[in-house]
Amino acid sequence: MFKKILLVEDDKFLRELMSKKLLSLGYEVSTAPDGETGIEMIKSEKPEVVLLDLILPGINGFDVLEKAKKDPETANIPVVILSNLGQSEDIERGLKLGAKDFLVKAHFTPQEIVNKLKTILE
Amino acid sequence: MDTRISNIIENKEDALRRVRIALLNILEDTEDARKIAVDERNKTMAILENLTDGILLLDMNGKVEIVSPMAREFLKKEENEIVGNNFFDLVNDEKFKELKELLKEDERIKAVHRKEVDVGDNLSLEVSSIFLKAESVDKEILIILHDITRDKLVEKMKTEFVSIAAHQLRTPLSAIKWTIKMMLDGDAGKITEDQKDLLEKTYISNERMIGLINDLLNVTRIEEGRFLYRQEKIQLEDIVGLVVESSAELLEMRKIKLDIDVPKDLMPEVKVDKEKMSLVVQNLLENAVKYSKEGSEIKIILENKGSEALFKIIDKGVGIPKNQQERIFTKFFRGDNVVALETEGSGLGLYTTKNIVEAHKGKIWFESEENKGTTFYFTVPFVKKSMNEK
Repeated sequence: MFKKILLVEDDKFLRELMSKKLLSLGYEVSTAPDGETGIEMIKSEKPEVVLLDLILPGINGFDVLEKAKKDPETANIPVVILSNLGQSEDIERGLKLGAKDFLVKAHFTPQEIVNKLKTILE
Repeated sequence: MDTRISNIIENKEDALRRVRIALLNILEDTEDARKIAVDERNKTMAILENLTDGILLLDMNGKVEIVSPMAREFLKKEENEIVGNNFFDLVNDEKFKELKELLKEDERIKAVHRKEVDVGDNLSLEVSSIFLKAESVDKEILIILHDITRDKLVEKMKTEFVSIAAHQLRTPLSAIKWTIKMMLDGDAGKITEDQKDLLEKTYISNERMIGLINDLLNVTRIEEGRFLYRQEKIQLEDIVGLVVESSAELLEMRKIKLDIDVPKDLMPEVKVDKEKMSLVVQNLLENAVKYSKEGSEIKIILENKGSEALFKIIDKGVGIPKNQQERIFTKFFRGDNVVALETEGSGLGLYTTKNIVEAHKGKIWFESEENKGTTFYFTVPFVKKSMNEK
């Protein structure tokens, strides 16, 4: 069974690396390079989990998360924040808005991120 | 008879003449004194008028006697609205609330030395109030208002810059971390042992860089004065336990024996930012490990000191040279002997540690002898039990 993951990430290289890792493990991956596209794709793709960056061009990740959680159609899709912010305020804000988890990019390897996703998908 | 009278008159006239001369002399002196006083006043006023600090002189009851132009500008009032009025009536406005609270103690003004207050309109002032002993009047109060808006702005820009730079650096560092890890995991094809060895070393270097960025971010948080987050009541024993647990690998790698001694009875709780307090214990433990020889011993002792908890960590490591002990808590400082011994380290650990301890109203100090070892101590006050909890 292929689980569909949406990756919202503005850095091209990080997006490629993460996609590669997920694809190699048999996940189906769609990507969005900014917040606008992210929101649209959460609605159109209905992924099983969203990996969401916070600092994005245009609408930032917090807003994407808030919109996704307000829309009954997408409110149940789990969102994991994957960002380089990581101060206590940011983490609290993300979790309050309904994120399942908050991962600081520089503190996790791709495999560790996948492991987190696995526990959420189970 | 006539001659006697005329003699008396002559004497009186003479006396009157002398009195007149004396009076004229006094008048002349008074006039001189008045001129000097006027000159002094003009001098003082000229200094006041041209000072970039705001000055207010109040009498004992808080009535304003003198106000300088800068002070008028800070208070946004004309001279005639200020002089003769009570100072606290002038600062009744909501935006001066902080200033008023700072200076007011019961019904009188208290002495203040260089305290910062925000007074709205993006204006920050450094306030001092000084009691003057005067010769003629009871006592006067001098209030000095110094504009530090620009200083604060520059300081803020500096910390913001470091914070943004650090966050920006994290993105490429993440990319490097992910790439190396994926290559090590074989996600980009099989690699040779030599390649693996090199990649592993690169990975460790990169991790160090990530750690350094974290240290820098912590320092900017300290300097922004918003370092402590949510403080919760917790046992210090638990924090120490968790940190020791997560350091097991490090200890094993260096073959270091760690001995922990906690009081038999559970100590009262401390109210701390758990993450930051863990960082304190972790920094001290990591230092002890880093600067001890392989196979050495470290001892952690927790003591109940009545109103506070005392944490001790004793190592038999390289120690801190006597002539450098004073600078040990300064930012970016590293001892000569440890620079030679171990190349890594940002010099930010103990600076951060001290700031965290002090933000929790604790104290930190150490004893050290080169080549014999170091003992670091810190205290955290216990949560005071309120009456109904007793």
